[in-house]
Amino acid sequence: MNERGGAPLLSMRQISKRFGAVEALSGVDFEVRAHEVVALVGDNGAGKSTLARMVSGVLQPDAGIIEIEGQQVSISSPSVAHEMRIATVFQDLALADNLDVTANLFLGHELRENGMLQDGRMEQITRDVLAKLASRIPSVRTPLSALSAGQRQSVAIARTLIGDPRLVVLDEPTAALSAVQTAEVLTHIERLRDLGLGVILISHNMTDVRAVSDRIEVLRHGRNNGSFDASRTSFEEILAAITGATHVEPGLRSVG
Amino acid sequence: MSTDLNLVPTGGKLTTGTSWRERFGGLGGNARQYGIFAALVVIILLFQAMTGGRLLYPDNVAALVNQNAYVMVLAIGMVMVIIAGHIDLSVGSVVATIGGVVAISIHDWGLSWYAAVALALVLGAAVGAWQGFWIAYVGIPAFIVTLAGMLVFRGLALAIVSQSIPVLDTTFNGIMANSLPNFLGRVGNADVLTLVIGVLLILATIWAQLRARTALRKHNLAVEAVGVFVMKVVLASAGIGVVAWLLSRSTGGSPIALVICAVLVVAYSFVMGRTVFGRHIYAIGGNRQAARLSGVNTRSVDFWIFVNIGVLAGLTGVIVTSRLGTALAAAGDGFELDAIAACFIGGAAVTGGIGRISGAIVGALIMGVLNQGLSIMNVDPAWTKVIKGLVLLLAVAYDLVSKRRAGTQ
Repeated sequence: MNERGGAPLLSMRQISKRFGAVEALSGVDFEVRAHEVVALVGDNGAGKSTLARMVSGVLQPDAGIIEIEGQQVSISSPSVAHEMRIATVFQDLALADNLDVTANLFLGHELRENGMLQDGRMEQITRDVLAKLASRIPSVRTPLSALSAGQRQSVAIARTLIGDPRLVVLDEPTAALSAVQTAEVLTHIERLRDLGLGVILISHNMTDVRAVSDRIEVLRHGRNNGSFDASRTSFEEILAAITGATHVEPGLRSVG
Repeated sequence: MSTDLNLVPTGGKLTTGTSWRERFGGLGGNARQYGIFAALVVIILLFQAMTGGRLLYPDNVAALVNQNAYVMVLAIGMVMVIIAGHIDLSVGSVVATIGGVVAISIHDWGLSWYAAVALALVLGAAVGAWQGFWIAYVGIPAFIVTLAGMLVFRGLALAIVSQSIPVLDTTFNGIMANSLPNFLGRVGNADVLTLVIGVLLILATIWAQLRARTALRKHNLAVEAVGVFVMKVVLASAGIGVVAWLLSRSTGGSPIALVICAVLVVAYSFVMGRTVFGRHIYAIGGNRQAARLSGVNTRSVDFWIFVNIGVLAGLTGVIVTSRLGTALAAAGDGFELDAIAACFIGGAAVTGGIGRISGAIVGALIMGVLNQGLSIMNVDPAWTKVIKGLVLLLAVAYDLVSKRRAGTQ
C-alpha cells in the first residue's frame, strides 16, 4: 500500500477542531489514495465522524491543511464537496422516503432540459448505476419507504456515483443491517474501489473493516493512534489501538 | 393529472423480495387517488338524490364553480406549502387586504381593471416575499409567521377598507360574473363553445394518458392492465363530458372562473410533477435535512413557495372582490381553513412530503358540493359547519387507518 506515485487523492494534515470546550480533533493526519479503501476506526467520540464531515464539507477545520490531488482546498459546504467530486453517504442516510429511487439518486442534481425534469434519462442512468453496484432493487420507481434497510443503503451508495466522484465517504454504512444486507453493502464498497475511487469507511464493526479495507487508521481522543495494513494486522492489535492499550506516537506509526 | 408525481404513501417497510405490495405498488397509489375521485362522485350522486336532482341543474353547476373558485385557487398554493411541511394561516387576511387595495385602486385612483389585477398579483408576491423571508431566512416556523400575518393583514384590511368599498368597473366585476362569450351560438339550448372545449379536453386527456403509457412502456416500466387503463380514460372522459354538457345548458356557458382554475390546475400539476422546483418541494417535505445535504437550496425553495401562495392569494383577492362587486374588510374570513381542509381531504399528509394538486382540487370540490347541496336542502349553516368538520375528520382518519393497515401488512 505504500505506492508513492503522485500526490494522494486526499491529504489532511494537522487537522484540529474544537466544539466549545471539547477538543474533537487535534493535529490529525489522514490520507486516501485512488483505488484504496481506508477505514477510519475508533471509540465513540474519537473524532471519526468529525473528520469525515470535514471531507464532506459539513464541518470546517479550525486549523490544518486539506489537499485534493496536491492542491490545497477549502471544502466549505456539501455542494462545494460535490463540485470537488467528493460524495458522502451520511449515517442517517439522507434519503427522502416519499420519493422514488431515481428521484433520490438525483436529489439536488436533477437532469433537466428547458427547466423540465428528464425522468426517462435519469431512470436509465439509475438502472445502470444499480447494475454497476450489483444491487438488487426491484424497480427504480419504488418509493424509498417501500425498501428494506439494506436496499436503502444500496440506494444511498448508488447516489454517490451520480456526478462521477473520485472520493466516497461512508459513515457507518453497515450499522443496523442484517448479515445478508451487510454482505451486499460490502460488495458495493469493493465495487467502488474496483471503479478506481478512493473510499473512506467509518465503522464500529471490525469484521467489516477487515473484510474490505486496505488500510485502517485509528483515532483515539481526537488524535492519530496508529495506521495498520489491514491484511497484515490482527484484530487484537487494532482493538488495542482503539482502546488505548497501545499508544502510537506520531512519527512512530507502524505502517505508512 | 398524468403529470403528477406518482407518490405512494406507505409507512411500512418490505422484508421479502417481491411482495404483493411491491408488485402492485403503483396501482396502490393510483387506487388511493381514484378513491378521492370516487368519494366526490358518491357525494355528488348522494346530494343529487337528496335534492331531487336540483344539485346538478346547469345553473347550479356554474354557481358551484364560481362560489368555490377561491378555495381551489388557494388550495393549489396551500397544498404546495403543506407538501413542503409548512402551513399558511394568513391567506384569508391577505385576500381581504389585497381585495381592499384593488377596490381602492379602481374606485379612488381610477386604475383600469387589468392594472388593478396586475397590482393585486404584485402585492401578493410582496406579501409572500415578506412572510417567506421570515420563514426561510430567519427560520421562524411558518405557523408563527403566518399567524402573525393573519393578524397583521386583517388589521390592514380593516384600516384601509374600514367597512366596504364598491367597485363599479363592469369588466372587473365580469371576471367572476361572466362566462366565455357564446360566439359559436347555441344549438337547442346548449352553448356550442362549451361543448367544443369539452370535446377538446377529452381528446387532450386521452392523448396525455396514451403518451404517459407509451413512455412507461419505452422505459420498460410496469403499466396498468388494458382494462383498467381503458376504464380510467373512459371515466375521465365521461366526467369531463358530463360537466361540459351541464355547463353548456347553463345561462352563461363556461364560467371564466372555471377557465382560470383549469389553467392553474394544469400549470401547477406540471410544476409539481415535471420541474426541479416541484421535485425539491416534495424532497424537503419528505426529509428536509437530506435535501439540504444533497445540495437542495431549501431556503430558496421555502421562500418561493410562500411567494407563490402570496400571488395566488392576490388572485383570490381579485376573485372575491370581483364576485361581490365590492371590497369588504371581513372578506376572506376563514378562507385559510377552507383551503387547508381541502388539501387534507384531498390526501395531503400532515407531516409533509405527500399531496397532489389534483387531490387538493377534488378536496375543494367535495367541500363545495357539501356546501351547495346542504344549502339547496335549506340546512341551517350552523349544521353545515358541523357536517363539514366531521367530513374533514373522517377523511383524514380514513387516510391514516388505511395507511397504518398498509404499513402492518
